[in-house]
Amino acid sequence: MIPPSGSPAEHTVRIARRHSAVEDARRVAELATRECSAECREAVSLAVCELSENVLKYGKESGSDPDAGTISVTVDDDAIRIRAINQVGSVEDARKVFDLVSRISVQGGDIRDLYRSRLLELFSNPTLERAQLGLMRTVFEGGFRLSCYVRGAELEIVAERACRIDA
Amino acid sequence: MIVGEPIVVESLEVRLVNADRLALKGSISTPTALAELKRLFALAHELAVTTRVTQFTVDVRQLGFVNSSSIRAFVDWISRAAHSGYKLAFTTNPAVTWHRLSFSVLKTLAPDSVEIVEQGDGPS
Repeated sequence: MIPPSGSPAEHTVRIARRHSAVEDARRVAELATRECSAECREAVSLAVCELSENVLKYGKESGSDPDAGTISVTVDDDAIRIRAINQVGSVEDARKVFDLVSRISVQGGDIRDLYRSRLLELFSNPTLERAQLGLMRTVFEGGFRLSCYVRGAELEIVAERACRIDA
Repeated sequence: MIVGEPIVVESLEVRLVNADRLALKGSISTPTALAELKRLFALAHELAVTTRVTQFTVDVRQLGFVNSSSIRAFVDWISRAAHSGYKLAFTTNPAVTWHRLSFSVLKTLAPDSVEIVEQGDGPS
């Protein structure tokens, strides 16, 4: 769909439950950010990969929709916004994600310390099942701000950062 | 793993350069590539222990992108190396954001067992 003139272009990809889903999403992100700086493209590629993996891991089938969820990438003049939307299997799952995003997004919080703490937990407990590093990397390496919304069984994570368009 | 013979899985290429040096190239974003990475890290660890090396070098300069599960694989290898008494030396490219940021944190997990060598672009 072509957006109205003057409005930011949004590229949306459905995250299908198949082997290539994350790569498919990364390709859409590359298309959406083709005019952005290399640093922005690298950051968006990381965020889209991590958010897509989360959608695949935690997204629950909804009615007749076989997909795990959607990822949308919007590039404005000076900002990038990525939205990941999926249905969650349990309120508990949604609460965990919400709490994690809240911890990561605390104003003045040191994301490097949080990231290191999680890596240290994994280092000390190799049997821990879930790495849970994706959202932290999105902030720490990608430079994104995160916000999270829960609407009934629907979970939305929004990642935003400044963007520079290559001349 | 055979010295000099690359192992290619999807967009990941891994090559045992010699008995104490591994070179990684490409990207890791699928479960298949991740499973192969874990398998090869385990083999390299066995090799390091068997040959009693004091240091094993992992050249990631051409590893452009990895997912978070791959970071976990690096953490697990560092843990094994620290417990086995050899050092892991990662050759990184500081121009790649995840190299610069994540390896500086990985080193803090086991400072005596991890060395970071920043060298820019690697061999093709």
